Amino acid sequence: MIFKIIKNDFKRKKIVTAAVFVFITMAVILGASATNIISNLIQSMSELKAHAVPADIAQMHAGKFDQSGIDKFTQDQSEHIALQETMVLLSIDGRDIHFGNNQTMVGTVQDISFVVQNRKFDFILDLNNEKLDIRKGELAVPIYFMEVYNLKLGDTITLDSKGYRKEFIISEYARDYEMNAPLTSSKRFVVNQSDYDEMIEKQTGELEYLIEFRLKENGDSQVVQTAYIDAGLPANGPTVGGELFLLFNALSDAAIAMIIILISFLLVIIASLCIQLTFLATIDEDLKEIGVMKAMGISRKDIKKVYLNKYRIMSAAAGIIGYLLSFIVVNLFNGNMRLYISSELSGNLKYVLSLIAPVVVYLMIVLYCQKVLRKVDKISAVEALRSDIMERGKKRKYSFPLLSNRLFTINIYMGLRDVWKRFKLYRLLIFIFIACTFIVILPLNIYNTMNSPEFSTYMGIGKCDMRIDLRKTDTITADFARLQEDLENDPDIEKYAAYITCSYQVKNAEGSWDYILIETGDFSVFPLEYLEGRAPERAREISISFANASTDGLNKKVGDDVVVRASGIDKTFKVCGIYQDITNGGKTAKADASLGLNEESVLWYIVNINTTPGVDIRNKMEYFQNAYHSAQVNDIKEYTQQTLGNMIDQLGVIAIGGIAIALIIVVLITSLFLKMLLSKDGSQIAIMRSMGLTTQNIKNQYTAGTLSVLVLGIILGVVASDFLGEIMVSAAMSSMGAARIQFVNIAWQTWLLCPLALIAVVGITISLSCKVAVEEDLSVVLRS
Amino acid sequence: MNTILETRSLNKKVELGKNNELHILKDVDLMIEKGEFVSVMGPSGSGKSTLLYNGSGMDRMTSGSVKFKGLEISGMKEEELAKIRLSSMGFIFQDINLLKNLSLIDNVMFPALVSKDADKKAVHQKAKKLLEMTGIEKLADNNITQASGGQLQRAGICRALINDPDILFGDEPTGALDSKSASEILSILAEINKKGTTIMLVTHDVKVAAKTERILFMVDGNIVAEKKMGKFDSLRDDIMEREEILIKWLMENGF
Repeated sequence: MIFKIIKNDFKRKKIVTAAVFVFITMAVILGASATNIISNLIQSMSELKAHAVPADIAQMHAGKFDQSGIDKFTQDQSEHIALQETMVLLSIDGRDIHFGNNQTMVGTVQDISFVVQNRKFDFILDLNNEKLDIRKGELAVPIYFMEVYNLKLGDTITLDSKGYRKEFIISEYARDYEMNAPLTSSKRFVVNQSDYDEMIEKQTGELEYLIEFRLKENGDSQVVQTAYIDAGLPANGPTVGGELFLLFNALSDAAIAMIIILISFLLVIIASLCIQLTFLATIDEDLKEIGVMKAMGISRKDIKKVYLNKYRIMSAAAGIIGYLLSFIVVNLFNGNMRLYISSELSGNLKYVLSLIAPVVVYLMIVLYCQKVLRKVDKISAVEALRSDIMERGKKRKYSFPLLSNRLFTINIYMGLRDVWKRFKLYRLLIFIFIACTFIVILPLNIYNTMNSPEFSTYMGIGKCDMRIDLRKTDTITADFARLQEDLENDPDIEKYAAYITCSYQVKNAEGSWDYILIETGDFSVFPLEYLEGRAPERAREISISFANASTDGLNKKVGDDVVVRASGIDKTFKVCGIYQDITNGGKTAKADASLGLNEESVLWYIVNINTTPGVDIRNKMEYFQNAYHSAQVNDIKEYTQQTLGNMIDQLGVIAIGGIAIALIIVVLITSLFLKMLLSKDGSQIAIMRSMGLTTQNIKNQYTAGTLSVLVLGIILGVVASDFLGEIMVSAAMSSMGAARIQFVNIAWQTWLLCPLALIAVVGITISLSCKVAVEEDLSVVLRS
Repeated sequence: MNTILETRSLNKKVELGKNNELHILKDVDLMIEKGEFVSVMGPSGSGKSTLLYNGSGMDRMTSGSVKFKGLEISGMKEEELAKIRLSSMGFIFQDINLLKNLSLIDNVMFPALVSKDADKKAVHQKAKKLLEMTGIEKLADNNITQASGGQLQRAGICRALINDPDILFGDEPTGALDSKSASEILSILAEINKKGTTIMLVTHDVKVAAKTERILFMVDGNIVAEKKMGKFDSLRDDIMEREEILIKWLMENGF
């Protein structure tokens, strides 16, 4: 009997039931996909780590090198250090690597080096997470380059450097735990030992050393780093800790997972709002039915069973379908992870963790139903049958009388006042429109921000037209001097500023010495936006990056003193400002030229340039690139693109996906909402029709109401995604070194294009789904 | 006298399922003259209300012809019929059917404000007058939850009259009211009729029918008898006597 009632109920409310079902399923799909991504990320990162065995401390060094000192140090620190291995990197200029149709890797911001597989740890893996074993004449290409240059297995890569020419066949892709991420600015190509020896012999590139330590289980990383520096061992490059590798690797996937979790969270809200909407819309009818059942003598328990079982069956079925579908849908989101972290995301954790989504959704729905049914418990059969008598005698102040309308036609006014009068019903729709606008605008804002030249602010760079990087070569100092002279005499150059970055020792909060990268130069030419304070202007002033200022960095505020050791002399500097920087692990500083150079540890020279108005920047860039072979010439946008390109591309996909999801939700919810509203208002519509209102008159009322709700939702949604979104993104980015992200808001997109698209879609949906024509005879509805 | 409403061979069938059809109206011919006060009586299921709704164009007839003010309305589109309802017809229902979120006076004014060139001031004045006429002017700004059934039905009558209809249709307008309220409503309707508005009522209450001018008796989808009683004048006529005559006539016809 009860089963029959449930079956009939499904039959009777086909569309509403189907819509609620679809939303529960969608919420489960996305919720399960997000948990799937996170569990995959956790599991596959640890698997990748287990296979790659990355270093806990990695110290870069270029120049004079002596392994015996390091061996002795390792022995002395055997309490902390388990293994030590030095990887010798053969640096190759991108212009010397040829592939495809006369293409080279010139212009990449990545430092390229050729290496052979390590013996003890820090293994570079293939796509099956197996240690790479490269045969003679073959090489493994980093996944980053495979994607950027669309390189295929079997393609030829030719190294043509300093008169030495050798062809390699790409036999594998290299999954490199330490240098996978686009944010890590070095990439390693793996070759066979004999090819490598030949290249070294022919002096095809500069040598750099990656001195790596693997610590014992309870080894202290900080102690080893300090002792290493105190021992005066080779250390003129940056030091990178194990956590940073993890952070860089997981960052883009974690960001994607976070955005998907956000979207699925919004969908869960939408689904529950939808169920609430169904209840609100059908409660009058349901109350009558409950009244009939009570009058028939069916027990309260059985009545509850009918209602609860209906939604139990629905949410359980939607949960199972959503859970299963999530394993297909998740493939849309985890492409990057499959490529960079693990090709076979086969862990079992995801099957368990993904169950959270359907279980949570199921519980939410059942709890909600129980809440509604508690209300039903309290009323008698008669009250349930005559729900209108509950309304009788309630004194409410009458607002929005028809005569106070001066602006709108009567039907538009009726639509608008209906929103006000039944705000409880419409507010669900407002929430949904806010959520959808948020889903559209937030990824768009993030995408636009990362894609804009303004983003350089978060990379510690002042805004300029182009940037020339000079990196370690024998002629670097001469090139730098020549470049400055050239710029001084070039009428096409409006202004320029040169900066030199060296590695310095700085006294940390514990009183020991850390290495940090300090840039010196004139920071007033291309001003950078500061979080606090300002750029160094006078002698003995230093500004530090947000990550350096934080407690796990130097733990300094504006006004604090910092002791820097330059050329063996300790100098005290006052912190004059804190800026945001996500490059170099977020830990950088800028000081006045009075700091002096650490000649042995100059890492790079950078010149920022603005051209005179009217000058073709492209031509100028080409000119400098040709004049200075060892230089990398980029415009700022290109620089951000290459460093963050992968993430920007994925964000682009998410932004488009967000728009698509939002539009689908908007269409589904609007039509569902109208369907339910119209069925709830059936008798009121019939009354208006009996008075002589045309279907168009009535349609205008519902269109005006729904569109006004949409406009309100859009305004609140845009404001929320601007302010709340900034806070959320800043919180997420603060671990990388950018604590206060300000969105680049492209007004015509956020305030015009997206709202118009939403309004157009909702408008069309309303006109298609707002069917107020009474299909049966009017009197049937009026008398029912 | 001019005929305001005329039906010829009016049929209404309703599908109840496969091969199961209910023939509610069977070739009904009816003529109502302008200014008449007509009531339709008959047992439950005889087709009284169906005649009212199909004759007024509110429902779609199955076959036959309906002329309103000489104009054939049976083939008209829904939107054209709506316009006629708005400008020339008024309806009063047993369930009153006021709009929930409007005050009494706004419910009354609403049909008049729908037309584009409505003069708001004039509409307001007229609504106030109608509320005065029906004795509920003090409740004008009340929500519909703050009025009794009788008061709401008066507001329903005011709404039906706001656009000066040529004919007023009533489907058991006093059916849900106590006898005092019912009697007051009938007096109001009689007053309206006196001023020239044609009224067609469906009722099963002899007391109501006795106050009307002509009574039609329906059985099984047909008008089987008709009784002309003449206009009721409370000063001249004895209502008890009219009721007795009517009861006798009804019994003769098997009611």
